[in-house]
Amino acid sequence: MAHHEALDRLVREITTQVRWRRAEHYGLRGVFWGALAAVVPLLLRTMLGPWALPLAIALLTAGALAGVAWGLSKRVSAGDAARIADREFGLADRLSTALDWGQRDERPALVDTLVADAIARVEAVQFRQVVRRIVPREAKWLPAPVALAVVLALSPAVPLPRMALPDFSPAGGREEARERADGPMLEDRARPLVKDKQQRPAFEERDWAQRGASGAAATAGDLSAIFKDTSLANQRPDFNSFLKKGDERLKMLEQMDRLPDLQSDFTSSQYKMVFKKSKELRGGLRPDQISPQKLKELLEEMERLGRKNGNNQWGQDVGEGMEALEGGNTDKAMEAMQKALDKMRAQEDASRGGKNLRGGRDRGDGRGRDSGGRGDGSPDDQDFAEGEGSFAGKGKSGSPKGDPTQRLRASPFDAGVEGESRRGKKDGYDTNMTGRGGKMPSRLTYMGVIGQYKKAMEDAITREQIPRDFHGQIKDYFQALDER
Amino acid sequence: MTQDARVEQFISSFQALRSEVEKVIVGHREIIDHVLIGMFAGGHVLLEGVPGLGKTLLIKTLAEGLELTFSRIQFTPDLMPADIIGTNIIVEDAAGRKHFQFQSGPIFAHILLADEINRATPKTQSALLEGMQEASVTVGGASRPLPMPFFVLATQNPIEMEGTYPLPEAQLDRFLLKLRVRYPAIEELNAIIDRTTQVRSVAVNRVMTGPTVMGFRELVREVPIAAHVRDLASAIVMATHPQWEHAPTVTRRFVRYGASPRGAQALVLAAKVKALAEGRYNVSTDDLKALAAPALRHRVILNFEGEAEGIDVDTLVEQVVDSAVAASSQNKELFVR
Repeated sequence: MAHHEALDRLVREITTQVRWRRAEHYGLRGVFWGALAAVVPLLLRTMLGPWALPLAIALLTAGALAGVAWGLSKRVSAGDAARIADREFGLADRLSTALDWGQRDERPALVDTLVADAIARVEAVQFRQVVRRIVPREAKWLPAPVALAVVLALSPAVPLPRMALPDFSPAGGREEARERADGPMLEDRARPLVKDKQQRPAFEERDWAQRGASGAAATAGDLSAIFKDTSLANQRPDFNSFLKKGDERLKMLEQMDRLPDLQSDFTSSQYKMVFKKSKELRGGLRPDQISPQKLKELLEEMERLGRKNGNNQWGQDVGEGMEALEGGNTDKAMEAMQKALDKMRAQEDASRGGKNLRGGRDRGDGRGRDSGGRGDGSPDDQDFAEGEGSFAGKGKSGSPKGDPTQRLRASPFDAGVEGESRRGKKDGYDTNMTGRGGKMPSRLTYMGVIGQYKKAMEDAITREQIPRDFHGQIKDYFQALDER
Repeated sequence: MTQDARVEQFISSFQALRSEVEKVIVGHREIIDHVLIGMFAGGHVLLEGVPGLGKTLLIKTLAEGLELTFSRIQFTPDLMPADIIGTNIIVEDAAGRKHFQFQSGPIFAHILLADEINRATPKTQSALLEGMQEASVTVGGASRPLPMPFFVLATQNPIEMEGTYPLPEAQLDRFLLKLRVRYPAIEELNAIIDRTTQVRSVAVNRVMTGPTVMGFRELVREVPIAAHVRDLASAIVMATHPQWEHAPTVTRRFVRYGASPRGAQALVLAAKVKALAEGRYNVSTDDLKALAAPALRHRVILNFEGEAEGIDVDTLVEQVVDSAVAASSQNKELFVR
C-alpha cells in the first residue's frame, strides 16, 4: 500500500521544521566560531591594514553560512520525523507504525486499518511548529567574541610586539659597539686589544708560579688567563666566533698538565709549596746526591718570592746557600735553604695569626700542633705535606677517631645526624645511638649490605675521596665489623 | 467480517465484560482491565493482595460473565498434584471387566481459580507448570489437552507468609501478569458497603463464549508494533538485567536476576490488547509504560541488598522504564543528531 499523501505531507512538514531548527542551531555555532576567528584579523590590523575589517566580516559571515548550510544539508529520516509528529500531535505512534508497516510486503490485515486510521487522524491535525529550538552551548558565549570583535574594530590598531632574536653575529656586535662608542665604559673596548704576552715560567712546574691578589695581571705561563682577561672574553657571545676561535681554548683544555692547579693556588701557602718542592728535590737522597742545578733553581725561586713579598727575611740565607752551592758545598747550601724555609714558615704563621686565620690543625685548644708534646723537633714534624700528617690516636688528637676533617666540620649536613650517642661505656667503633635516631630500626639486613658498604669504602679510598689519615681507621672499622 | 468490525466487536465485548464484572466488583478498574488483558493475550494472571479485597470474587464474576467452565482449587499444604490434574481410577464396565479410567481433575476447565496458590507445596504447585505453558497435562504417560481457552487466575496473600511456599521463579514466569490488589478508596468502600449489605441480587450476564475469546486472541496478535516501540520493549526488559552494559544503576545495585524473554513477550502482547481495547490498531510507547510493572514485577528478582533495603519492585521497574525511555532514540532531539 502506497503512503497516503497526508502522511507524506506531515512527514515533509516535520522534516522542514527539523531542517530549519538545525540551520538555526548550527548557524549559531558557526557565528560563534566565526566571531572567534574574526578576532584574529582585527588583532593583526597593523599587519593586515585595511583588509582586516573585511576579512573579519568575511570570517563571521562564513561561519554563519557554513553552520546554516551544514544544518540544512543534514539528512532527516522519515521515521524520525514521524516520531516527532506522533509525539507532538498526540498520534500515539500511529504515524510511525503506519509508515513502518505500510512498507512491508507481508503484513497483517489490521495494518491497512491502521493506515486508514492514521490518515484520518493526520488529516485532522492542524499543522504548527512542533520542533523545539535548541540553543547550542556556544550561544551563551557568543556575546564575548562579538563584543571583542566590535571593540577591536572600533579601537585603534593594536601594536604588535617586536619579537626579534638577538643578533649574535660579529658584525652586529661591532655595529652596536659603534653605536654606543660614546659611552665611557666602552672606550677601552673600542680600543684595539693588546695581545697578551706569553712568557715562559721561571720554573717548569707551574706550582711554583705564585698567584697574586685578585685582579692582578695573569702570571706568565698561567694558562688560566685564557678564561678571563683575554680579548675573547671581552667580546660579546658569538657562537660563530667561538667555533672559529674557541678551538684554541679547547686545544689548551686538552693539555691537562698545563692547566693551573687552582686548588693548590688558592689553598697552599708559599711555604708549603717551597717545602714540597724541596722535599721533592731531596727525594730521600743524601745531600751529595742532590742535583746542584735543581737546588740552585729552588734557591732562586725562594729569592724571587722574597723579593716579591717585599719582606725578604730569608734573603740572606738564600744568598749564603747560593754562595755555598757555587763553592760546591751542597751540605751548606742545604742548611741555608732549610733556614730560609724556617723563616718563610715563621713569616707565614705570623701573617696568618694577624688575620686571625687558622687552619684545621692550628687550633689553640692545647691539642694542636703547637702545643703538642711531640713533633716539635724537626720541620717535617711541625708541618706536613700531602700524604703525611697526624694519624688517629697518635698523640695529635685526644679522640681515638682523630680530629674531624675540615670538610666534616664545615658541612652542616655531615654533622646533622639525628640522635645522640648513647650513655655509658662504649667502644671506639660503637655506633649505637639513643634518641629519635636510635629508635628507628634498620630496614636493611646487616649481612646483606656490609659487603656493599665495604666495597664502596674501598672504591672511595681508591678514588682518594677520603683523606689518607683516615684510611687505616676506616679499614680497622670495617675489620671490626667483620669480627663481630 | 472486516477488520474494523472485528476490532469494534472486540472493543464492545471487552467493555461489556468489564461492565458485567463491575456489577459485582466495586472499583479496581485497572485490575479488571489487566485481568481481561491477560485473558485476551492468552496468558495467566496472578493476583496478590491481602484477604478481603475481592480477588476471588472478581475471578468468579469474570467466569460468570463468560460462557466457559470454571474450577476453583483452594490450595492447602496437603493438596497433592493428583488433586489438581486428576488420576486413573479402576472402573468396571457393563460386562464386568475392570479397567483404568482417567478421572480428570479441576484443572480441566476454561477458567481455573487457584486460590492462595502459595499455600500448596512446590510439588503441587509444579503440577500447574505444564498446563499453564503447554495447555495440556500428562497423566500416566498420556498427554491430555486442556480445554481452550485455558486461563489460570491465581491469588496469593503477601502477608501471611507462615506455612506458605513462595512460588518458584519458573512458576512465576508463567504468569503473564502479576497484579497487586490494593485497598479501595473511601468512595469505593462506601459503594462496596451499599452493594453488599442490602437485599439485592446481582445477575451477571454471559457476554462472551470460548470461541469468541480465541478469535480475539488471534486478532490481538495482528496488532502491529513499530520497530522503535519494539526496541523500547526490548530495552526495558534488558534494563532489568544487572549484567547488561547499559543497565541503570538501580538495576546493577539491587537486582539479582532480570526478566526473561517471556517478560518481553508478555509486555508486548499485553500492550497489544491494551491498544486494541482502547481502539488503536498499533502499540504505542505509552502502552508499554503502563504495562511494564504488571508484566515485569514478578520476573525481577532482587538481590540481598535489594531485599535488605526494602526496595519496591514497582518503583524499581518504573525507574528502569524511565531510563530505557531516556536512552531510547525516540526521545532524543533529532535535529542535533
